[in-house]
Amino acid sequence: MASESKLSRLIVSFRNVGALAILVILVVMFAIFTPKNAFIGRANIQSMLALGSEFMIIALGVGLLMIAGEFDLSIGSVLAFCALIFTWTIELGINPFYGTLITLVCGSLVGMLHGFITVKGKIVSFVTTLGGMMFWRGLTLILSEGVMRPAQTTEFTAFQALTTGKLGGYFPAQGIWFLIVAIVLWAVLHKRRFGNWIYSTGDNKMAARSMCINTDLVKIVCFMIVSCLCAFAAVIQTTRLAAFSSRVGTGWELRAIAAAVVGGTSLRGGRGSMIGIFLGALIIMIIENALVIARLPYEWTYMAFGFVIMFSVLLDLVIEKQLQRA
Amino acid sequence: MSTIDTSSNPLLRMEGIHKWFGKVHALEGVDFQVNKAEAVGLVGDNGAGKSTLIKVVSGYHRASRGKIFFENKEVKINSPKDARALGVETVYQEQALALHLSISRNIFMGREPSKALGFLAKKVMDEESMDALTSIGLKLRSPDIPVATLSGGERQGVAIARALHFEAKLVILDEPTIALSVKEVQEVLDFVRELKNKGIAVIFITHNLHHVYSVSDRIFVLVHGQKLTDISTKDTTVNELSKIIVRGTMGEKTLKEEGIE
Repeated sequence: MASESKLSRLIVSFRNVGALAILVILVVMFAIFTPKNAFIGRANIQSMLALGSEFMIIALGVGLLMIAGEFDLSIGSVLAFCALIFTWTIELGINPFYGTLITLVCGSLVGMLHGFITVKGKIVSFVTTLGGMMFWRGLTLILSEGVMRPAQTTEFTAFQALTTGKLGGYFPAQGIWFLIVAIVLWAVLHKRRFGNWIYSTGDNKMAARSMCINTDLVKIVCFMIVSCLCAFAAVIQTTRLAAFSSRVGTGWELRAIAAAVVGGTSLRGGRGSMIGIFLGALIIMIIENALVIARLPYEWTYMAFGFVIMFSVLLDLVIEKQLQRA
Repeated sequence: MSTIDTSSNPLLRMEGIHKWFGKVHALEGVDFQVNKAEAVGLVGDNGAGKSTLIKVVSGYHRASRGKIFFENKEVKINSPKDARALGVETVYQEQALALHLSISRNIFMGREPSKALGFLAKKVMDEESMDALTSIGLKLRSPDIPVATLSGGERQGVAIARALHFEAKLVILDEPTIALSVKEVQEVLDFVRELKNKGIAVIFITHNLHHVYSVSDRIFVLVHGQKLTDISTKDTTVNELSKIIVRGTMGEKTLKEEGIE
């Protein structure tokens, strides 16, 4: 039985080691093959962390929701909708700190709505959030008439520093937010009661129910976390761009799911870890960035995504077999 | 009812329980009793109403009519939470555990102890899990192993240890030996004996008369939503029981003994 324990631990940790290995291989490969090693240049690392964190922050939440057994395809559209709300608060002359608060509340309400419809209507979240994806994008386009508009917050230096500044003149604030969100969600998932409820809900809803866990509430809260993170990403993105665009976040929904899967999150729920999701988000972000730096045509990005996802899913399959056998 | 021993110490008593699902009369006035530290086998063919009766006790279904007494007090069981508050724990075969979670996380599912600031008290969880497993005679190396790596018998053990840890007075086992190997069945039957030794009452639902016969004090037979017989294992045999169930009526000899007209 000692071997069983060791084996299963090895398998669980191996999953993260696997994601870490992919990450290291990609970094080394891109560092070597990008022109003038631009990939690991200071400028690129900074821009990766500044721009990439906007996506990665949301991907962390999507992974958490997937462990609870649900999907969110609406993140890109919710991002755009929240960007519009934040832009409105700026246009109304509201202090951006309050504007952020308002945006976060609106985002959370959107998530609550998605969650509520999903659990009360017993509809697959794939469908509810597909609806959400179309609805919020459409609403944003109607309300904004699809035109870009400025969203200047330059006079609020503290706000600028907190959202888009650079720590010590080097490390982008967005990267720090990504770390903070990752650590908070890690603590929630692995160190708190609610985390155990998330896993139980995703793994075996009936078991969780029979142990008096309110699985509906767990799912709704997870939907709210995702949309709230969308709102947060919308705030830092709008501040960075100093403008609103109704086109932001297109294609992010599948990339976020890809990040979670690459990080070892099961599509059936109940399995995954925050460290894995963290690594998965970095992997997806890095592939996108590096292929641009390498000046490869954009189609190559899709092929690379496809390859990494297939590899991860196959790895998962092997692990699942091992678990069943043991 | 002459079959209920009034000198005994009733833990759960159900009187005239009826349950309708639309027009289907699933339970037709069932009287059922479990005494303290008693193992009762609940048997009957498919659709006899076994699981409906159990779900009334565990709070998943509400009885359409009838009274439930727990420790001689009338109670209303409207939700699984109510049942749990009374000390009734139900262990379902497929619904008990989250397979990818560790043993200790399963045992404390929904009732995790926490430290200051609401962080999980993992050490407490691990230690108490091992104690609970040991107390039913199950020795597993580590509380960190995912349940998926355990055998079917061991999984039942984890689910039963969980019930035990939370001081259940009555543990309901729904088909605990289904799809288990012979050796695993013996393990599970040992768990049941261990529960009885600890003074915990057990309701054991099964199709397999041999399994239930070897650990039960009494066997309660349901047919078409009605009590067919409630008989002490001392006074019957597996053969006799299987004849009763197949026939759906009492044999003459047993009829006389039981005093049922």
